[in-house]
Amino acid sequence: MLLVLLALAVVPATAQRPRNAATTYPLPPDRTTRVTLRQPTPERLRGFRQQREFQYVEVKSEQSSWDLFWARFWHWLSELLETRPGKLMWEYGIYAGLVVALVFVVLKLLQIDFTRAFGRSPRPAALAYDVQAEDIHGLDFDALLTAAETEGNYRLAVRLGYLHVLKQLADRSLIRWQPDKTNHDYLFELPAGPLPEAFRELTRQFDYVWYGEHDDLTPAHYAQARATRLAFQQLLSTGRRAA
Amino acid sequence: MENNLNPGAPELQPELTPSANPVEQAAPAPFTSRTDLSHLGRHADAIRQELGKVIVGQQALAELLLTAILADGHVLLEGVPGVAKTLTAKLLARTLEVPFSRLQFTPDLMPSDVLGTSVFRPNKAEFEFRAGPIFASIVLIDEINRAPAKTQSALFEVMEERQVTQDGTRYTVPEPFMVLATQNPIEQEGTYRLPEAQLDRFLFKLNVGYPTVEEEIAILQGHHAGFGGTPLEAVRAVLTAADLKGLREQVRRQHVEPKLLEYIARVVGQTRAHKGLYLGASPRASLALLNGAKALAALRGRDFVTPEDIQYLAAPVLRHRIQLTPEREMEGHTADDIVKQILQQIEVPR
Repeated sequence: MLLVLLALAVVPATAQRPRNAATTYPLPPDRTTRVTLRQPTPERLRGFRQQREFQYVEVKSEQSSWDLFWARFWHWLSELLETRPGKLMWEYGIYAGLVVALVFVVLKLLQIDFTRAFGRSPRPAALAYDVQAEDIHGLDFDALLTAAETEGNYRLAVRLGYLHVLKQLADRSLIRWQPDKTNHDYLFELPAGPLPEAFRELTRQFDYVWYGEHDDLTPAHYAQARATRLAFQQLLSTGRRAA
Repeated sequence: MENNLNPGAPELQPELTPSANPVEQAAPAPFTSRTDLSHLGRHADAIRQELGKVIVGQQALAELLLTAILADGHVLLEGVPGVAKTLTAKLLARTLEVPFSRLQFTPDLMPSDVLGTSVFRPNKAEFEFRAGPIFASIVLIDEINRAPAKTQSALFEVMEERQVTQDGTRYTVPEPFMVLATQNPIEQEGTYRLPEAQLDRFLFKLNVGYPTVEEEIAILQGHHAGFGGTPLEAVRAVLTAADLKGLREQVRRQHVEPKLLEYIARVVGQTRAHKGLYLGASPRASLALLNGAKALAALRGRDFVTPEDIQYLAAPVLRHRIQLTPEREMEGHTADDIVKQILQQIEVPR
């Protein structure tokens, strides 16, 4: 009985056909209806353009007048160099630059101060301190020395005489005056010859008088110091003439 | 006398006119020291000569060590191993006829190993202080930066106040008292940086460099000829404690112009304002520079200080007392560079 029921239940499944199985055909295109394109409003378009997602091209900023000037300048220069005279100038300009560089290197190697060739002394290095107190170039040594000698202030006179010598050495470019240098620094700067030994003695006397508190100098003592200074100055001027 | 060099200057007064022959001048030359420094000079030469028996070269080091002895200051010698730091310190101690002791600093050294300790005496039923090796006139501390800060702090009191306080009792070290310490550069393995407070107590920090080629050849020749060089026993004591006391008193009386005191103050003060430093030098540094300059001037035969003395000693006095900012250190600057910059910014009194 059970087997019979099972046999009856097994009914072969078949695809259900559509009730209306009539064949359909595509309609011909409708050529009579007018198609209208819907344009977005200008406000909406501007809104889209301002959105970052729709900015596909990087917009370059406008050039400033300075940039425009240089752009035109380089354009003009390139056009100029394209011409025959421009090419000649370019070619010889390179040679001239090489010659100038070579001369500069040679002068530097020979340690020749060529800045004086243009009638101007080299500009001193900027100093980070006040040099007013020791500005030997701003002192009237003749008047000050005379006043100190007249007053009998021989210690001050020795100092002024020594500073005067330093000024003369600096004027002759034998030393490079800088307030942070000591007297012995200047001694080592002097070129070989009779000057260093004479300057050593002058410095020794100055040191003893100025730093050693020898403020009880007699006229005879001062005369000795003065003679040493004058002898050095004589040596300096003689050497200058010989040179 | 015609004054060709100063055309505007008036003629000299008759009494100012120098004699043609300097020998004829009756007045004595004023350009000599008023204090007789020949005694000091003889002792200094004798010490140099004794050091020269063993040490080749290093004249500048010997001069600065003598300066420190005369200025009553402690010295820190820094250099790589093998440049005769310890030997120099030992030899210098031998030239002085004073009690000498040596301490080798190690990482496990305790303060009581340096200063001494109280031990209990059962027969007296009381504690008795047993003095440590610091109780000597010349104390050589070898490789001082191998001990940690705890041990270093034991030296603070004795280096500055010349005394040790133990269990409430004050013990004074003998006079003269000088610490000669050696150390390897801080980058060397197993070393500690000394505390700033201790560094400030050293008068000088001297960098011992390598010898020149000529000096090294002389070292080799001496060693080869003597099969080991001159023995230390050849160096004899040439200065007693009493002599040293007298010489120090002479140095103390050296003349210093007020303008030079101001110069010292400006140099040291500038270390506190320099942008490249985060720790400047203390007033103790100013005192060290002053005392050192007085001693150096005496060694050079003068009874007064000149700006050269101050400039010469600026680096040894200041290099261990200032600390560079990390930026400056990374740029490769050294303390000596900064000291040089400072000196270039300050006008020499003249």
